[in-house]
Amino acid sequence: MTGTLIRIALRNLLAHKVKTAVVGGILVMGTLMVLLGVSALTSMDRAMSQSLTGSVSGHLQVSAAGAKDKFVLFPSPIDGTDVGELTDFPKVRAELEQLPEVEAVIPQGFDYSMIFGGNLLDVKLARLRKLHTDSQRGGSEGASQGDSAGAAVAHQAAFIATRDHVRRIVELLSVDLKNLEAITDQTTLSKETAAGILDVRKAALPEFWTDFAGKFEQRMNFLENKVAVMAIGEDLLFIRYMGTDTARFRKNFHRFEMIDGEPIPDGQRGIMLNRFAYEEFFKHKTARRLDKMRDRIAEGYRVDADDQLQDWRRKNVKQYKEIIWQLDAPSADSVRAALLKEVGDKTARIEKKSAAVDASPPQAAQAVADTAPLPPVPPTPEPLTPAQSKRAEMVRLVSAFLDVDDDNFARRYALFYKEIAPKILLYRARVGDVLTLRGQGAGGYAKSANVKIYGVFQFRGLENSILAGAVNILDMMSFRDLYGFMTADKVQEVRQMQAEAGVKEIKRDDAEDLFFGGDASLPGNTAPAGDTAPARKGEIKRPDAMAEAALFGHEGAAPPEAVSPVDAAAAPRDKENGGFDEFAGLDMKEGAQRWSESLLNRVYTSAEIDGGVVRNAAILLKAGVDEKDAMRAIEARSKAAGLGLQVMNWRTASGMLGDFVSVIYMVLLVAILGVFGVALFIINNSMVLATIERTREIGTMRAIGMQQSHVLWMFIVESLVLGVVFGVLGSLIGGGIVLWIGSVGIPSGGNDTLVFLFGGPRLYPTLEMWHVGLSMVMVALVTTASTVYPAFLATRVAPIEAMQDAE
Amino acid sequence: MTAATQPPIVELKGVHKVYKLGKVEVPALKGIDLTISSGEFAVIAGPSGSGKTTLLNLIGCVDVATRGAVNVDGHDTATLSESKLTRLRLDRLGFIFQSFNLVGVLDAFDNVEFPLLLQGNLTKAERRARVEAIMDSVGLRDTMRHRPNELSGGQRQRVAIARALVTRPRIVMADEPTANLDSTTGHQIIDVMKRLNHDEGTTFIFSTHDPKVMAQADRSIELIDGRISQTSVRDDGRLDEPHSALV
Repeated sequence: MTGTLIRIALRNLLAHKVKTAVVGGILVMGTLMVLLGVSALTSMDRAMSQSLTGSVSGHLQVSAAGAKDKFVLFPSPIDGTDVGELTDFPKVRAELEQLPEVEAVIPQGFDYSMIFGGNLLDVKLARLRKLHTDSQRGGSEGASQGDSAGAAVAHQAAFIATRDHVRRIVELLSVDLKNLEAITDQTTLSKETAAGILDVRKAALPEFWTDFAGKFEQRMNFLENKVAVMAIGEDLLFIRYMGTDTARFRKNFHRFEMIDGEPIPDGQRGIMLNRFAYEEFFKHKTARRLDKMRDRIAEGYRVDADDQLQDWRRKNVKQYKEIIWQLDAPSADSVRAALLKEVGDKTARIEKKSAAVDASPPQAAQAVADTAPLPPVPPTPEPLTPAQSKRAEMVRLVSAFLDVDDDNFARRYALFYKEIAPKILLYRARVGDVLTLRGQGAGGYAKSANVKIYGVFQFRGLENSILAGAVNILDMMSFRDLYGFMTADKVQEVRQMQAEAGVKEIKRDDAEDLFFGGDASLPGNTAPAGDTAPARKGEIKRPDAMAEAALFGHEGAAPPEAVSPVDAAAAPRDKENGGFDEFAGLDMKEGAQRWSESLLNRVYTSAEIDGGVVRNAAILLKAGVDEKDAMRAIEARSKAAGLGLQVMNWRTASGMLGDFVSVIYMVLLVAILGVFGVALFIINNSMVLATIERTREIGTMRAIGMQQSHVLWMFIVESLVLGVVFGVLGSLIGGGIVLWIGSVGIPSGGNDTLVFLFGGPRLYPTLEMWHVGLSMVMVALVTTASTVYPAFLATRVAPIEAMQDAE
Repeated sequence: MTAATQPPIVELKGVHKVYKLGKVEVPALKGIDLTISSGEFAVIAGPSGSGKTTLLNLIGCVDVATRGAVNVDGHDTATLSESKLTRLRLDRLGFIFQSFNLVGVLDAFDNVEFPLLLQGNLTKAERRARVEAIMDSVGLRDTMRHRPNELSGGQRQRVAIARALVTRPRIVMADEPTANLDSTTGHQIIDVMKRLNHDEGTTFIFSTHDPKVMAQADRSIELIDGRISQTSVRDDGRLDEPHSALV
């Protein structure tokens, strides 16, 4: 019987081809949407879950209940950050780790700090000072050794090249500032800025550089304190980090992997930079853009057809200075030679082509070169000197070099890294450097801390995510310093340091003001800073300049003279500039340096790390534990032990991102409901029409002896056949598409949120049987639901209808 | 074989049928008394609107009387549920329609097999044997796999006859079976029905207003305005008393 009903159904479907095609098309579309949507969402959810739980969030997050703002891992600009503190973390950890569900409780805290410096002038000035110091020392030591004469000459040459480079940078800075003056309303410039511009102009005058070696200290002080500050504007950097127990973090978050340097030694202070943040914010801008261009070209985009690539290229060409500034004379010569070869090759090719149509090749080549878009050469009032024309040529060469196309990109990229990259500051800070972080503490006072960069890491799968990539890892102690919590041992340390530095008679409050007021760059300084103005010095230090970092500048204070280990005998302060006269007679350098080093090398115990304030904690669950069960258990324990915790799962904790997945779910749901709603309506309508159309046939069947239940069954079979045929078709197509997409991946297009959701640059959806099952069930449900009414109508058809046309 | 010697298979007593068209009541049958014996080849005649189809519907159990008793093969149709009536139609009755009423999407074989499937008590092989035999007897063995639209009117009606007879019903109802056929084909159809009536002993009750068809019947029941005006027997001169009062 059912066989015949299926046959009837199939033949009815075939008999109404257009209608069947329309209904079937809608059903196939619905199936496709369910299948693609569900498999994409499942994969996305899994990817995101793994990304988050294995990198930052853990399975659950606990934070203080009743805080002003809701805790979120990745706050949007409108999210408040007052998420409270867990003031008794050791108890929280002890209680929660007793639970059978819990694997580990890791303390965390998210915050931002600023970093200044790493600017070229600072670095070059530091190098100049070092060369100067070395040559003085070498001069006295090397007098007895004849073979050092060659070295001394080379040394002298390096000093001159560096000095000229500094001079050139100052000149260009002066031109830049002149341009700034020209386009800015003078009255809006602060007195300070106006004075700064005058200082730079002074330093750019030829007189400033005559007898530079003779007046070394005076000139250097001027450059370091008056001129360098004018070049730091663009070097302000915000860095986001997570303070945590780094040892336990590494042990429990499996997506963490070091790619350079080493992890922070257990219990020590330090920072590990996320590769993404490191590349994005610390790398030379031109180099970074070239890297991005390489990646995008590898994705299959073409420079001649892609706005993004063209935008990067335009910026690179426009910002040729990023490279030129950084080259001293010998480097510039070597780069010039390399670029001439590369860009000259291009000219030669054009020349050959032109030769075919033009009898005078040299002019043709010249014409081509002239018409090439050249960035403006800095205005020079006098006629070009040989040095200036050499520079102008350099501008032309670098610009032309960076004006890449699809044919030469790969070659020029390689050339950049071979010839240019080694001669410029490729990164603003390197592994091993000490970074000065300046945070806006919880109390609203600026705090700062010096931390050594131990290494660069990444979260596997999230290499290119800005959100995940912005999370750098800081030790818990430094985090607390920046967050503004004064722990008991910190108070003790401050006292000790004061004692060692010879400060005895000054009250603690005063001492803090004096020590940390202004530019509070002392490591671990927890005192309110009197002055939150930007630092007046570059603050990324080479290890040999670490002690320098431990010293502090003051608003308008004495220059922090060279206090690097190799320069223990520092020159006296320049009293003209004011400064810590109160301390003039004290040997602060040594105490500060020792204090700083002891802090950086100190190993904290687990109790010390846990024993301070913790803003939130990540909870990792044992394998196979249900999140909801664990949440309930933790809530119960929190209530019983009075921990005052609020618990959320990683999805909730991921805030905007979790919401984003929900939004996608909703959109998909609405779309699917829409399609199926339409399908329901159309199938229902067509079946009602079919019922009416087939009234006599149904009546005949009824007259012959077909029961009402059979009629109902007949219609249901018909809709099932419809559903199965097109459901299977849709599933086959959808399955094929999912498998295909699963092999090529859905590109995130560099969209950060998508990178995060995809758990990587591409999402590779997988096809699972239940996806197919779900889509089939949905189609079957929809078609069956849409048949209920027409089938009911059909059962109402009386057998007498069969006779109706008899009369 | 004559009708009189057989037991009654259909009995109608004082049957009235009133249709409601909105608020207007339209009487279609106005008191019918009728007995049809098993094996009869009976014709219900009369002009359009005289109530022929209504009478057939009542006998065929596709409609119920407003008043009076209709007894078919020993069942009082008024007392049967819808599903029992349906079963009665399936097992005991066969229908032949004026416009054949074949299921267009099924071929001849499937159409004929359909009632057997509804009955559900024969194996596939038995059904096949039964269908082939009946197709043989209506002369359609070679066109079993044709769809209705590939068959002529006469062939379609023969498929319909095969379908009506395949379950071996006691009674076959035919509502103007020749109305949509030309007269030659119509006669062939009547011949087929006559032969089956003769061979199988199946009772045939059909309506017509074709005098030539009427002439083939054992008995002719003439309806006028919802009443039986006269009943006549074929050739042998016997005339039954009218069961209802004459007008």
